[in-house]
Parts: sequence; structure tokens; C-alpha cells
Amino acid sequence: MSASQETQTGGGHVALSLQRAVDEAQRCLLCHDAPCSQGCPGGTDPAKFIRQIRFYNFKGAARTVLGNNPLGGACAYVCPTDETCVRACVRSGIDRPIDIDGLQAFAVEYGREHGVKAMEAGARRPHKVAVVGAGPAGLTAAARLAMYGYPVTVFEARKELGGMLRYGVPESSLDSAKLDADLAEIKALGVEFKTEHLIESEDGAAKLLADGFKAIFVAPGLWKPATLKLDGIELDGVGDALSFLEECRTDTAKARALVKDKNVAVIGGGSVAMDVARCARELGAGRIYAIALESMTELPAQADELGDALKDGVVIKPQCQVTRIIGEGGKVAFLEGHETEWIEPGKLVPQNARPIEGTHFKLKVGAVIQAIGQRPTDAVGKVLTSAKKQGALVEANAETQATSVAGVFAGGDLVRGAGTVVAAVGDGKRAADAIHRHLAGGKEVAS
Amino acid sequence: MTTMPSLKVSFCGVDFPNPFCLSSSPVGNTYDMCARAFDIGWGGVVYKTIGLDYEVKITHPSPRLNPLNRGKEKVVGLQNVEQISDRPTKDNFADLARLKKNYPDRALVSSIMGLTHANDWAELAKMSEDAGADMIECNFSCPQMTVEGTGHKAGQDTAVVQRLTEITKEACSIPVMAKMTPNVADMIPLAMAAQLGGADAVSAINTVKATSGVDIDLAIPLPNVGGKSSSSGYSGTAVKPIGLRFIADMARDKDLNLPISGMGGIYTWIDCVEYLLLGATTLQVTTAILQHGYLIVEDMIEGMQDYMLDHGYTSVHDFIGKAVENVVEPSELSHATQAISVVDFDKCVGCGQCYLTCRDGAAEAISMNADRRPVVDEELCFGCLMCKHICPVDGAITYKTVPHHLAG
Repeated sequence: MSASQETQTGGGHVALSLQRAVDEAQRCLLCHDAPCSQGCPGGTDPAKFIRQIRFYNFKGAARTVLGNNPLGGACAYVCPTDETCVRACVRSGIDRPIDIDGLQAFAVEYGREHGVKAMEAGARRPHKVAVVGAGPAGLTAAARLAMYGYPVTVFEARKELGGMLRYGVPESSLDSAKLDADLAEIKALGVEFKTEHLIESEDGAAKLLADGFKAIFVAPGLWKPATLKLDGIELDGVGDALSFLEECRTDTAKARALVKDKNVAVIGGGSVAMDVARCARELGAGRIYAIALESMTELPAQADELGDALKDGVVIKPQCQVTRIIGEGGKVAFLEGHETEWIEPGKLVPQNARPIEGTHFKLKVGAVIQAIGQRPTDAVGKVLTSAKKQGALVEANAETQATSVAGVFAGGDLVRGAGTVVAAVGDGKRAADAIHRHLAGGKEVAS
Repeated sequence: MTTMPSLKVSFCGVDFPNPFCLSSSPVGNTYDMCARAFDIGWGGVVYKTIGLDYEVKITHPSPRLNPLNRGKEKVVGLQNVEQISDRPTKDNFADLARLKKNYPDRALVSSIMGLTHANDWAELAKMSEDAGADMIECNFSCPQMTVEGTGHKAGQDTAVVQRLTEITKEACSIPVMAKMTPNVADMIPLAMAAQLGGADAVSAINTVKATSGVDIDLAIPLPNVGGKSSSSGYSGTAVKPIGLRFIADMARDKDLNLPISGMGGIYTWIDCVEYLLLGATTLQVTTAILQHGYLIVEDMIEGMQDYMLDHGYTSVHDFIGKAVENVVEPSELSHATQAISVVDFDKCVGCGQCYLTCRDGAAEAISMNADRRPVVDEELCFGCLMCKHICPVDGAITYKTVPHHLAG
């Protein structure tokens, strides 16, 4: 069991009002060579948009955010800023860091209210580009390519755009209207979206090239949940995080039926596990456990998410392993496990955990939801049949996102494993820039 | 518990239990307001300026105020087009009489302004004395009177100031104080005119004629009064340096021998001490009260008492004017030494604002090291200390004094 890195982060980011935004921007030290602007995987420049707010250049701030990141609105709500820009904030040395996500959300909302157009489609170029997957990486690449002037077609297997932002993040973290506002601006660039259009033929990327697309960006994400091999895993009442979170958005009745009035065990200690716990609480679950191999300080969930879960009454069981699920009449009834310790300290993989004698426990639960990571679906495997892979993940150049197949680029979770939205945004930007060099510069981009 | 020193001051022979007074303004407009101020601890009231209502009916433009804000700091400065009291003259004097009766130990100053005839001043002076006022303040300085020829238009003319002071003095037996306008290049000739006219004291500064802002969408300056605006009286923290300057000017002048009531941007006991050190004997406050209410006097009282204990003063008079001898003309400043900035790396948080100001506005003497800490090139630093002034961490940048780089 491994609570791998998680895809999304949740919780509590709020857009500041104009007055509060100015107040907060006034707290900013306007650092020289600002550390907050140095570590964003998406290339955001908080020092610039905070300065713009400080000097009442609100429209400029919106242009800074959205011109760099077409999902700047959504990222303001879901970014793990405590681990990136906010963590780097120099003001922490005096009292507390600047509320960078609140300022970003303010800038985006101000820009939208005042008709700021941060992105514009470039002069039309002849080379058609295809993007597979309308998640954070694909959407970012599509927007940026359209800004360069390429006709872009995005193929999306699902009905709605957004990928994890649409189907994986709880509504309480990112309400759909915020995502839709970002999407509207991307659509306005003239990007063509083909939804419910799964690319599943063998070597689908190569076929797209044959169909006349001059470059392909493949970013379909990881949508196959990892599952444990345990006694009772087949019982009615055992689910996985991806399906549960998706149902929370698309089929709430089904999600509610799984957890309402039941004790729920969430297996995993990352951000997704905390999202599942929060949604289960909202849907009326009884006692909620989060069971993870890591210790309290090792849990991959961010501190604020963990804090929210604790406030919600979630019982965290750190350094514990589930050994068996017991059913009654085909339905989940109990869960058994024991406490563990690391054989070799600091090596946080399931193989390195060993049980501690005399710590066996048994919990009465009505549902078990696994939040232990995800893999590529079988269809995704086919898109890039001939590309070089590392396990289930596709290999791509860290600077260009180029795969081993000429003209085919890849990014997002499919390349990096489950990661953050903003990291996928970074991939999309890099890929678009590399595709532009590849097409406009007439030079092959080394993989 | 420590026995706190007395804050009593004597000003023109009038005893003030402490030097803190309401200045003539909306904060001292009625009996109830002044009574509440006295109850909370203010030592004196300069009552809202009274004119003769049977000559001119006073009304106020509206809106009458506009603030200067700076980010989250509200009312760094405040512009007003307030007029003198719009209440019936007899009601105001009745209130003064009642205040004196109920608060005999507090200093009560009647502020007056004649609006049409020179003799108005005499009439108002008599009425003030009859009502029991301890002193009179002649308002020669309101910058926005809508009655032409009054306010600071009178106060900018030495002959008028002298004449009106004489008329006021002749009409009463209580001390008369002339309130000066800062809307002049030099206050001394006008203060001298008041002295020649027999004034017992001067007070300064009245508000600074100013325009606090413009509505950039409507292209109308603020406050927008029915689509138009005027430059008018500006007060608050923003004008404190102007107030201190004029107080020091008057305190330093060898021929001017009048005690001073100081005002302009006083919010804290520290502001108060500054005014006293530069020669004021009593202090007047409006804008801080408009912003925060009367209660702030508690902190002025306690803060100044602690200051006196810390410095071994037993009377406020021990330090009134103490800084005056340290004010010189720019041409008399020493060029023997200079400052060099010194950075405490342990306190520094590494924002680099000092680097930016030095690079873009000073000696280009600061470089940032690999740990984001500023390194001062002592050969280049000319000691402006802008780095110290903008540093967000108290004490992270200090300075040492060395012989001036260019001194022979």
C-alpha cells in the first residue's frame, strides 16, 4: 500500500476583496529577486502581480496571471502554495507569509469583471496540432499553441473539459463556475474541442500525425485507480478515490449511497485521501478513518488539508496497514489491520514497512475507499504504443516534453506520475513552446 | 504603584491640568461633546469658532471632508471645507457658560471670528468673557471661509492681524491668542503683528490649504461638492512636519516672545512631546479625534507621564522648548562626519529592498550576497540611510558615524 503523490489539493483558498487585496499587497516586501517567483512549476510570477495590485494596476495583475497560465483562476484555488510560492515568502521571517493565492484569485476575478483579455489568438499558422486530453496540461498547451497561431484540436474522452479539475477536485475546493471561466477564455482563442472522443486505436498518436496533424501533445492523465490485493477487496462497499470523487460531481446519489450513515475507511494519507474524507463527511458518513503507512509528519497531504480533515473529525491512523476486509452477506462489514514501522527509516514504500506485533486492530466499517494512486488506462497505453516508457509512464524530455516519437510530445501525470495541477500547467507550456520551435523553427526537437 | 508626575501647565496665566486640548473644530461643537471630552481627561477645550449669527447665516458645503488614504492606512491626511459654527451664537455662549460652571478646573478657550465688521471681534470677545471663558483664540486662519475676506485672508495680512488683535484685546480682560495660518512663506511677521497688537499667545498651525485628490472618472477634485471643489484645509499626520516647522520657527525667533499652543497631526504622546520640545506649551487635537474619538487622550496622558519618569522630569515645563536650541539653518549643519549603514545579518530577512533603493536612488553601494543579505560598500555609502528607513525589520539596519568621506 502506498499513498503516492496526489493529483489535487483542496481546501480553503478564498479570493480577497479589492480592499483586502490592496491591504495584503501592502504587506508584501516587494523583494528584490523575489523568492516567491522562483519556484512556481507553472512559471507564475507572484512578485509581479502582487506589485501590480499594490500599485493599483489590477488589470495588469490579471494579465500577469492569466497571460502566463490559462488556468490561473483554477490554480488560485487548488495550488499547493504552502509548498511553493507561499513557502518561499520572505515575509515569513517577520510574521506570516503573504496570501498569494488569495491575491491571485482576486486578480483573476477583477480581470474577468473588467473585461481583461489576457490571451489573444496569434496570426493563423498552417500547421494543425492535436492535443490528447483536456486536463490541465492539455488545456494549457492548447491555449498557448492557439496564442502562437496554430489551429488546435483537443480530443477529450469525457463529456466535460477540465480533467482532474472537473472530475477529481471536490466542488468545495473549486466550484465549476471558476473552471468554466478559465475554459471560456481558452475556447475564445478558437481551440476546437472534440469531447467524448477517445483516442484508442493502436498507436493513435501516429495515426493523428498521418491524419495531417503536424505535432501531437499527449496528456490524458492517469485514470485507472491502483488497487490493493487483499482478502475482501471484491466486496460490495469497496471503492476507489477516483470513481468516488467523480461520482461526487456527476452522480451524487451514488456517492452518497456508498458512504451515508456508514463508517468509512479511506486508505491513503495524501491530498486525494483527504478530499475523499471531506466529501464523505459532506455526504453524511459516520466515523471516517484515514489509514496510511506514513507517520503523521510523513503524510503526503498538505498541512492545511490535514488540519481540515482533523477539524472534520477524521480519525487519522498513521503507520498502519490494512490486512483484510471482512464481509457480511457480500457487503463490507469490518476491516482488519496492524501498526507498522519502517525497516529502513525514511524509505516510504510498502515493501519497507513491517508489522508491529500485538497491534492488530479491527474496525467496523461499511465502506472502504482506496486512495493509493493511479495508473494510465489501457486506452492511454495505446496512444503511444511505440514511445519509450518507464514502467507505465511515458518518457519525455524535461525541457521540451518530446517523446521518443518525432512530433509527439507528452506531459502531465502520464509523464510525471500523479502530480499537481500547476506542474501539469508547466508541462503544457513547455510542450507548446517546444512544438512551436519544432514547427516554426523547422528544427527537430531532441528527445 | 509609581506616582505619576503632574502634567499641569501654565499658559498665559491660565492653569491647564494637562496640555491636551480639543482644537476649534467639529470635535468641540456642543456642550455634550466637550463635557464628554473633559470627563475622559482632556485638559482644555478650544471651542468651535463662534461668529455673530445675526450678520451671516453659516452653512457647510457637503460633503465637507475628503481623506488621503495610503493603502490600508486610512486618513493619513484629511481635507475639509468645514465652516465656523453653524449653531446660534447665544446657544454656543450658553454652552460655554455651562461648561465653565460644570468643569471649573479645565481650561476653556473661546474661538471667535468676526465676519463683517471689525467691531464683531470686540463683541464676541465680550460675550466670551461674560460666558466665563478663560481665554480667547482669534481665528485668523481658516482657509475655506465662504465669507470673502475672513479666515486666512485676514490672517495673511499683518496690518489686519495687528488691528483685529488690538480690537479684541481692548474689549476684554482675559488672555487673547492669535491662531496663525501656515499658508504663508513665513509666519514670523504675522505672529509679530499679533504680538504688536497685544496678543498673549499664538497658536499654530491651522489647516494647510490643499487639494487631497481628484475623482479621475468624473474629472472633479475632491471633495466633490455639487460637481465642484476647492482647495481647503488639510490636516492630520501628513501636516505634522509642517506644524513642527512653524512652531520651531516661532520658538526660535528672538523678537517673538509669545507662548505657543501647538497643533497639526497630533495622534500620540510622542507627537505631543515633539511639539513641546520644539516650544509649544499647550497642544490641540482634532483629526485624531475625528478618526478615533476622545479616548486617545488616555494614552497621551499615560505615555507622557512615563516619558517624564524615564527622563526625570517633574513638570512639563522642564522640557518645553528643550529642542529649540538644536534647530539651526541648513547652512549651519556640520559636514565633519557622515553615517555608514550597518546591516545585522541575523535580523535581516533578505527582502533586498535596501539593495533596490540604494541601486536606484542612492549610492549604488549595496550588493546582495549569495544568502540574499545586503553587503554595504563603505567607500561608496554616503549615509543617506534610506535603506534603514525602508527596512521592514526594526533594527536590522543601523549606522555608524565616521569622518565625512569628503572632509579635508
